[in-house]
Amino acid sequence: MTGFLNTSVTRPDAAGKVTGQRAYPGDLVRPGMLHLKVVFAERPHARIRAIDTAAAMAHPGVVAVLTAEDVPSNGFGLIVPDQPVLCGEVVRCVGDRVALVAAETPDAAEAAARLVVIDYEDLPVISDPHAALQTDAPLLHLGWGTNIISEFAIRKGDTARAFAEADVIVEDEFSTTWQEHAFLQPEAGIAYVDEHERVIIETAGQWLHEDRRQIATMLQLPEERIVVRYAAVGGAFGGREDLSLQHLLALAAWKLRRTVAMNWSREESMIGHPKRHPVTIRSRWAARRDGTITAVEAHAVADGGAYASTSQEVIKVIALFASGTYEVPNITSTIVAAYTNNLPTGAFRGFGAPQAQFAAEIMITKLAHALGIDPLDMRRRNIYREGGTEPTQVTLPPGVSALPVLERCIAEAHTRMGHEPPAAPYLRRGIGIAAGIKNLGYSFGYPEQATAAVELYGDASINRAVVRVGAAEVGQGTHTALRQIAAEVLQVPFERIEMICDDSSAAPNAGSASASRLTLIAGRAVHDAARAALQQWHEEERPACATVQYRPPATTPLDPVTTAGRPNYAYGYASQAVEVEVHLLTGQVQVLRAISVHDVGRVINPQQVTGQIEGGVVQALGYALLEQFQMRDGYVTTPHFSSYLLPTTMDVPEIIPIALEHAEPLGPFGARGFAELPLVPFAPAVAIAVYNAIGVWLTRLPMTPERVLEAIKKQHTA
Amino acid sequence: MQVSITVNGKRYERNIDPRMLLVHFLREELGLTGTNIGCDTSQCGACTVHLNGKGVKSCTCLAVQVDGMDITTIEGLAQNGALHPMQEAFWELHGLQCGYCTPGMIMASTAYLATNPSPSEEEIRGSLEGNFCRCTGYQNIVAAIKSAAEKMQQEPVGV
Repeated sequence: MTGFLNTSVTRPDAAGKVTGQRAYPGDLVRPGMLHLKVVFAERPHARIRAIDTAAAMAHPGVVAVLTAEDVPSNGFGLIVPDQPVLCGEVVRCVGDRVALVAAETPDAAEAAARLVVIDYEDLPVISDPHAALQTDAPLLHLGWGTNIISEFAIRKGDTARAFAEADVIVEDEFSTTWQEHAFLQPEAGIAYVDEHERVIIETAGQWLHEDRRQIATMLQLPEERIVVRYAAVGGAFGGREDLSLQHLLALAAWKLRRTVAMNWSREESMIGHPKRHPVTIRSRWAARRDGTITAVEAHAVADGGAYASTSQEVIKVIALFASGTYEVPNITSTIVAAYTNNLPTGAFRGFGAPQAQFAAEIMITKLAHALGIDPLDMRRRNIYREGGTEPTQVTLPPGVSALPVLERCIAEAHTRMGHEPPAAPYLRRGIGIAAGIKNLGYSFGYPEQATAAVELYGDASINRAVVRVGAAEVGQGTHTALRQIAAEVLQVPFERIEMICDDSSAAPNAGSASASRLTLIAGRAVHDAARAALQQWHEEERPACATVQYRPPATTPLDPVTTAGRPNYAYGYASQAVEVEVHLLTGQVQVLRAISVHDVGRVINPQQVTGQIEGGVVQALGYALLEQFQMRDGYVTTPHFSSYLLPTTMDVPEIIPIALEHAEPLGPFGARGFAELPLVPFAPAVAIAVYNAIGVWLTRLPMTPERVLEAIKKQHTA
Repeated sequence: MQVSITVNGKRYERNIDPRMLLVHFLREELGLTGTNIGCDTSQCGACTVHLNGKGVKSCTCLAVQVDGMDITTIEGLAQNGALHPMQEAFWELHGLQCGYCTPGMIMASTAYLATNPSPSEEEIRGSLEGNFCRCTGYQNIVAAIKSAAEKMQQEPVGV
């Protein structure tokens, strides 16, 4: 029996999903539960003078109104616990939670939430990160002493000398804006205290054990007293990495000793979780006449919003990829993330790589134009190769496939694109090709591991295998892929393998569903645990049980003086080509077709691979052209899908997903992660295609019709 | 207010708040949680059901407005334990990832096929412009509907 890989095993969870039987967190509500309603700050910056809960408490059906003083340890955050669970002194963004109403019905909770009277003294609002960094700017976190959340720099070689000796130098400035995850299932869940005095939270998320850690800290309870379980998760994309309501459910259940439920509206979801960072990047690139890139300088500022979330890590990724997928001997890359009174920003598929490489891919193209070199040849000459050196002065991890990926993309584009002229004189067509890189797994010394346990039952042959691995199924299909990996190792039919993944007390910690890491790292842990269990099985152990913690090669923080260090243990590589049609009268950019080439190392499940690529391409298309989350003076002006535009079926081009298999040395059967990569080269590929169509550069995201028209007008004036 | 609504072939008499939306009637009064709520503003289509055979976003109508009418939800699509060809196609062709939009997609597309049993890909895309999916990029959804349509042409089914 062989052949559990490279096969489209249909996902077992699909049965419940096509019949409506599979329960999402919002489906867990039962009669008799208490309903919670958050009182949000609804103002961007203010001191709380007083909170009067009397009228709310007097409302029929209300059981409690919780405020800051009810929270045992009132701070949470993935890296720094700088975000109050419930604000008691100051609110710093409209998404801040101030009070939590518990009532017998949703209507009573909602009515009572409106009766909570908060006496605010408004404070100056900082809505721009550059303003936040001015020396006279008011501090948003007094105890922190600065509005800088984090700053980061990479220096390699001698940039000043390289610019002085360059044959050609180009400069430009780029800006990107917030992106909203818009997973279709708004945040929801239930919580209760069980007979063992454990707080059970049933909800959605991306990392059971990190949710558990933060909730335990908040309640000042040992982690064993907290159990996090995931129901079916309706999409995530990074937007469920931070706690949103899981801790509020836990707090209310613990305090009130009742089963509590909460179901957010879309508007609550929109203000209740972090967004992709808006970033401005000033770039300067230098090259020799022969097309060798000699220096990259990039200075970036990121809007971190009111709380740190993962800003500290996101900006490292932005700084690292300032030079894109290219080997550059001299680099100066700096970035600072600032606190503002905007919504916090954090993880979103790509985690900084899309912003950095929007700038990098346009810069290499402009550099090629300035030299009169084909931009694709320019890429070929400079792209990372096996044994190449990273910006942090270490050799790239083995398995560098950037060039074959790019070559395949170029070849496909040549075959499939540019063969039909536009249908009207006011339409222009252009093709853009860009490359991309993204780290797989955690970076810069952040502890990285995944643990899996495999149990084998039977007598002569294995009748049943149980795989325990706390990896979140957020829709991407990880449980199916991990099960295929176990089946391949054990040579046991897929159906005989039971997966236990959704309960922090029953499955070991496999880390987050993020950083394109689960197939690679959790997959490797499952692979190794299955091998170890099988070994025991062959030694006649019944049942045979093995637990393996897989740790990839260590990464390191950078040396504070030299900025040298090992940033990552693995990378994913992609290249994309897009053909666009620009409407000269409306400024509308239509993507006609998109080729997305990825090195996936080894295909575990072809259907899921293409599904991830296609879904990623469409999110990238939204990021490039449509999705414009807007805030004005700290207030969200796009809190619904009526004002925040998502791609629909009508916006979607022909998509050609291509998966190459250059083995990742660390991956199970050579598999590597890739699911963030579609977000990386797409926006610059569109910008390059638009340039090739109409001869103007768009350096702000998204490239809305207004901006395209403005750019065309400017070109005419010039 | 007293209403009598037939859902998935079964008649339900209920005394409800006149402000209650159909989607809340289905989810909270009847416990049929297969119909999902994604946006509250009638953009996303996750709550699509059949109202007298037509696709309707159940967050856009009040339960009292459908008094006396026939509703089919995702739970009512399978007949005698056999999945509807559209459900099978979404499963087999990977027309879903997180699955939250899926009930709405399936109800919208089955309603559409009743008006156009043999649609082109372009027509399928047009029929789904009111249904969001954030995971799949829609490619496999369109492929699933096309495949189901072909199968249903060969072996017609109800709904």
